[in-house]
Amino acid sequence: MTLLGSFKATLNLTITEKNGSVRSRVISMASKSYPDGTEKRLIKFLEPADVRGTGMLITDYKTSSDEMWIYLPALKKTRRIAATEQGRNFMNSEFSNYDMSSPALSDFKSRHLEGSGQNNQWIIESIPVNPDKISEYGFSRKVSYFTIDGYRVKKMEFFDRNGNMFKTIEVMDLKQGDNGKYIISEMKSSNLLNGRSSVIKFTNISMNTPVEDSLFSLQSLEQ
Amino acid sequence: MSRLIIKYRWLIISMCFTGGLFFILLIPSARTDPDMRNYIPGNMPSVMSTDSIEEVFGFQDMMLVLYSDSSGLTSEGLEILRKTEAGLKELNGISSVISPFNIRTIKSEDGMMAAERLVEEIPANDAETDDLKKKILENSYAASAVFSPDLKTSVITLTLSEKTTENKILEGIDSVIAASGNEHKFSIGGLPAVRRYIMKDVRKDAFIIVPAALFIMLMVLRISLGSWKNVLTPFTVVALATGISIGLIPLLGWKISIISLLIPVILIAVANNYGIYLASLYDRINRKNNGSAQSTIAELLKLLKTPILYSGLTTIAGLLGLVIHSIIPARQVGILASTGVAIALLLSLFMVPAMLSVSNSRDNATKITKTAGIFPESFWVRISDIITTHPGKILIATGAIILIFMAGILRIRTDTNQEHFFPENHPLRKASEIINTNFGGSQTISVMITGDIKDPQVMKGIDRLTTRIEAEKGAGKVFSISAAVREMTKAVYTREEDGYNSIPDSREAIAQLFELYYMSGDSEDFKQLLNPENDKANILIRLSVPEHEVIERIKGIIKESAKDIPARVTTGGYAVIMSDFTGSLVKGQVFSLVFALVAVFLLLSLVFRSFKGGLTGSVPLAASIIILFGFMGFTGIAIDPATALLSSVMIGVGVDFTIQYIWRLRIELAEENNIKSATRAALTSIGQSIMTNALTVMAGFSALIFSGFTSIRFFGYLVVISIASCLAGALLTIPALILKFNPSFVRVKDYNQKTDIYENKVSDSATFSADGKSIGPAA
Repeated sequence: MTLLGSFKATLNLTITEKNGSVRSRVISMASKSYPDGTEKRLIKFLEPADVRGTGMLITDYKTSSDEMWIYLPALKKTRRIAATEQGRNFMNSEFSNYDMSSPALSDFKSRHLEGSGQNNQWIIESIPVNPDKISEYGFSRKVSYFTIDGYRVKKMEFFDRNGNMFKTIEVMDLKQGDNGKYIISEMKSSNLLNGRSSVIKFTNISMNTPVEDSLFSLQSLEQ
Repeated sequence: MSRLIIKYRWLIISMCFTGGLFFILLIPSARTDPDMRNYIPGNMPSVMSTDSIEEVFGFQDMMLVLYSDSSGLTSEGLEILRKTEAGLKELNGISSVISPFNIRTIKSEDGMMAAERLVEEIPANDAETDDLKKKILENSYAASAVFSPDLKTSVITLTLSEKTTENKILEGIDSVIAASGNEHKFSIGGLPAVRRYIMKDVRKDAFIIVPAALFIMLMVLRISLGSWKNVLTPFTVVALATGISIGLIPLLGWKISIISLLIPVILIAVANNYGIYLASLYDRINRKNNGSAQSTIAELLKLLKTPILYSGLTTIAGLLGLVIHSIIPARQVGILASTGVAIALLLSLFMVPAMLSVSNSRDNATKITKTAGIFPESFWVRISDIITTHPGKILIATGAIILIFMAGILRIRTDTNQEHFFPENHPLRKASEIINTNFGGSQTISVMITGDIKDPQVMKGIDRLTTRIEAEKGAGKVFSISAAVREMTKAVYTREEDGYNSIPDSREAIAQLFELYYMSGDSEDFKQLLNPENDKANILIRLSVPEHEVIERIKGIIKESAKDIPARVTTGGYAVIMSDFTGSLVKGQVFSLVFALVAVFLLLSLVFRSFKGGLTGSVPLAASIIILFGFMGFTGIAIDPATALLSSVMIGVGVDFTIQYIWRLRIELAEENNIKSATRAALTSIGQSIMTNALTVMAGFSALIFSGFTSIRFFGYLVVISIASCLAGALLTIPALILKFNPSFVRVKDYNQKTDIYENKVSDSATFSADGKSIGPAA
């Protein structure tokens, strides 16, 4: 997902188990990028009812560890959480935190694969630069498929240390922002190991609308 | 019949050998089934419950890879363990891995909650090692699942998936351990390991014990029967009957189980009897007939055909009692062993006379008669004297012995812990000891709760059950989602706050705690405890003492506690299956025994045309069963899948000895109508053969002490006691009983079976004076 200057949306997360059972969550999300590269996000659960009001405040620092706070309305508690690994699941879905963020390009060595540049398609392989990065991101190799016109990502394939593909992400829909950049508005992650899949769909997208800095505060989190 | 046997003897022999060989050649294709779960019918409630739990939470069986280092926790040791863990993770067929490197602790530090790995990094120096030790000791909840309290042993717990065969996974684990270069520091435990050792040791047993038993038998027979010809005849019957029965296993699409080992055992005990009677008598008759094969065979069959036939049929009926057994391999043993006895019966009545006639030799016969028999005639004369003089005392002594052993039955216990199949110094027993002492055990009970798990009443119910079981002796470690929720509250509240280490009162609070955990931890951490829909939870109870009594006690607690949980409670797991298995074992054994005793009684009543005869003939069998189980009670030898089937061996042996004795007594009584002298005559003649039989079988069973399985070794000791008691019953109790009560069924006026051979019996065996007292053995 490419984050823009500021962003607001409602996020529908649907997790489908191997046996076909479906769980859904609805989350409101607001984010803002700052000139120093810091990115702040406020997430609030709208559904299911038992977690309504649960919120998360995340600050992604470019140069230091991320900061994450969570508010639990039923316990009336706000707790800081240890920075998660990028490779860890996002909200218990098949997406990782990495999939939801904008990682540093310098963390990967990238190259074109055979067939890249043909049929209106770039095929790019990205390999984490060292074993620590493999652990952090949770994969040892990624192959991404982009359209040549517009550089829009279509699909990503993730491989484990043994070279086996364990996850795919298909981009199902994109929306263009006011600045001409695209944002993924719907994507599906399929876990090839456990048969689960998750779909994230963004609605009520609002890009580059002014977002107050005060929104990214503990007071706002607890409201 | 004898004419046809002589005429077609070569055809009979070649057909028997060809048929036998065909089945023997099938034996290598038989597959082994070490999984005791397959022994139990699939419709048994605990099997169905376990299946439903495994459908949601995956296989409940766990495999443990132990790494022991007397130096305790070191960087080198952790490095070896990490490499091994990485290797194990790469194997196909492993569905989950719990190790020091991925187990998480939930903690609150500087106002920040973290679900972090117990061992994040391998310490680089002594100071870091000390810090890590401190961290491990402070986080006992997580640490106790992966480190022993002295930190000298660490464990990687694996659950296996169905994708790959268990054997392949185990081979993979072996190769990972071998690649570590420190194989000697590793050991494996858990039921998959047990199954593998069973599979290995069953084959080893089959290749060592059966040949050893046959060899010992061969030697004893050679000593008692005096010639290789006489030895080889019954021996061939045993070998062919056993070969055909075992060969039927792959032909019927069945698998060899640990219980299948009993088939050769039963057949060795029973199948050679008929051949021994025939072979030992053949030479005597042959000498009298001056080597005329046809008349010898005719007389031999006339004399022995009926008791052998009745004895065989009664044994078959008794063994078929196992067909109603609740345990599948026991049913198979019933069918295969009775088929084997039927084959032995046919071989004895057709092939044995044919073989004997082929090797007919007058010189040899004379020589044999002089050397046959382990005990001298004077021994039998002395025994006869005691019995005929003191029948009352013998009966009182028998009654007293039975009463004493009856008391032992009350102390009998059952044991279905498969680990106990192996001797104490076996690597598996050693590994199990470490696992049970330090890691809460490897055998599990699973309790599935179906309902709204986030409902505080349900969660509190789970918590109460967890706490109650944790306090129970024999329950090693209990894993439940309520314990995880308690840990989460520790990270959210301070010790002084009310919510610390407790189950929240609202559904929302529980749901939000889970969300909190997912932000820092991983939902996979709970996959064995809570399903993704949160409508099923699993309480996993590891047993440090996986004994029947402990399992039953815990089952009782679960049943009682379930009343307070507003959800459906399903109890399963391998340990519960084993517990039910024990119940079935005892119940099945009782049913089979009752069936067998009734069948034996009815058949004996039919044979002797008298209910009194049926009752008298059943006495040694019933008494031997009481003595056997009483002995087990006194010595602490438990009923297990092998020992439970002992009584089946006795049915064959006990019935055979009794029929042979009573039959012979009737012949003797028809001859001279004096019960005392008839008793002496019967004992000195058939007593010798029965004794030879019993000693041969007992010697053969002594081979079982070489078994790799403890229960099979016990089986060996017990079978010796059983046969000895059957022998005493047939040669002491039955004669005393008949002498004392002089029942009419032993008297037959016109006895067709009487042959000339018995007119010479005095010169063949012993000489008696007119008052019935022995005056010395024959010259």
